Amino acid sequence: MNEELDSQLSAMFDDELAPGECELLARRLSRDEQLKARWGRYAVVGAAIRSERGVRLNAPLAGLVSAVILAEPALAAAHGARRTGVRWWQPVAAAAVAAGVAAVSVLWLRAQAPLAGAPLSAHLTAPTATVPSAAVVPAAAAGVPDSYVVPRAPAVRAMAVPSIELANYVVAHSVFSSPVTRRNLLSAFMTSESGTAAEEPPDEPAANVR
Amino acid sequence: MSADASDLSLVRRVQRGDKGAFDALVLKYQHKLVKLVMRYVRNPAEAEDIAQEAFIKAYRALPQFRGDSAFYTWLYRIAINTAKNAVVSRDRSPIEYDLDRNNEESYDMQGRLKDSETPEGLVLTDEIRSTVNAAIDALPEDLRTAIVLRELEGLSYEEIAAAMACPVGTVRSRIFRAREAIDRRLREVFEGGLGRAEELG
Repeated sequence: MNEELDSQLSAMFDDELAPGECELLARRLSRDEQLKARWGRYAVVGAAIRSERGVRLNAPLAGLVSAVILAEPALAAAHGARRTGVRWWQPVAAAAVAAGVAAVSVLWLRAQAPLAGAPLSAHLTAPTATVPSAAVVPAAAAGVPDSYVVPRAPAVRAMAVPSIELANYVVAHSVFSSPVTRRNLLSAFMTSESGTAAEEPPDEPAANVR
Repeated sequence: MSADASDLSLVRRVQRGDKGAFDALVLKYQHKLVKLVMRYVRNPAEAEDIAQEAFIKAYRALPQFRGDSAFYTWLYRIAINTAKNAVVSRDRSPIEYDLDRNNEESYDMQGRLKDSETPEGLVLTDEIRSTVNAAIDALPEDLRTAIVLRELEGLSYEEIAAAMACPVGTVRSRIFRAREAIDRRLREVFEGGLGRAEELG
C-alpha cells in the first residue's frame, strides 16, 4: 500500500485533507475494498480510544446497511426517474395555472367595468361633501382655528313668480315706466334666465341701439 | 481547509449514485451513532437496529441533503428521531411473556441469539479494545500524545500543533504513523479472529 495514500486517508478521516484531494480519494475509497477496510479500522481505533461502553466494535452494522441499500436503486437513477416522471405534467400544470389566472382576471375586469347603457358620469360622480355644522359657527366664536371648508353653494334660486308671468307683467305695465327703467328691467330679467336667454339674439340689432 | 470536506465529497458521490461511498460514511460513523442511540435505549442490540434504520433513512433522504449543515449533524438528527419513535412504539406495544424466550431483544428475526449477546461477541469486542490499548501503550510518546489528542479530545491538527509546538505537517505524520502502528495489530485480530490478539500480545 502506498504510504502517501494511507497518510491522505488518515487526514481525510480527520477532515484535514484539502477538498480537491478529498474528491479524488473519495472516488478511490468507494471502489477499493482494502482501503475501505483500513478506513473502517481507523474508526474502530477511535471508538476503542474513546472507550465507548456498550458499543460493539466488531458489529456487522456496515455490512447490514450495505446489503439493504444494495437492493435499492442508486440515488442518481432514482432521483432522475422521479424528475422525468414529474417533467411530463409540469407544462400542463403551468398552462392550467396561466389559464386560471387569465379567467380570474377577465371576471374581475368585467365586474369592475360600468354596466352597459349606464352613463359613464354616474360612475364618476364625486361624493357630495357634507357641510359640518361647525362651519356655520364663526371660527373665532367657536374658539377653533380658521377653517378652510367652503360652505355649500345655495340650491337653485327660489323664484316666487314664474318667469313668463313676470315678463308679461312687465310688458303689460310698461306704459307706466320710463323707457330706460323698462329696458334695464327686461335686460336684467333676460340675463337672469338660465342658458337659453343668453344664447338668444338681442331684442334689437346693434344698429338700432341709441 | 474546509470542515466536513471529506464527508461532503463522499456524500456527493452517493448522490451521484455511488453506493460504495455510503459504506465509507457508515464505517466512519457507526460507533458514534450507536453510542448516541444508547442514550435512548439501554440494549446494545436494539441500539444497533435503530442505528441501522437511521442509516437507511439517511441514505433514502440523501437527495434532499444540500450540505447546509455538516453531514454528521444531519445524520445525528435522523438518528435521534428514529430512536425517539422506536421508544414510543415500543412503549405502546403490549408486553409479551414467553417463558422460553423472556428476553426477546436477545434474539434476531431467525430466533438466534444476537452476536453482541453471545460470549464470543463480547469477548471479541474486549479483545479489540485491549489490542488497541496495548498498541497505544507501545507507541512513542509523541505519537501517543498526537493520536490521543485527536481521538479522545477531538482537537484539530492545528490545535494539536499548537499544543505540541510543532508544524501541522508533523502532526499529520504522527497521527498517521500512530494509526498505522495500531492498525498492524488490529488487522491481526480482524483477520485471525478470536485468540490471535492474545498470541500477539
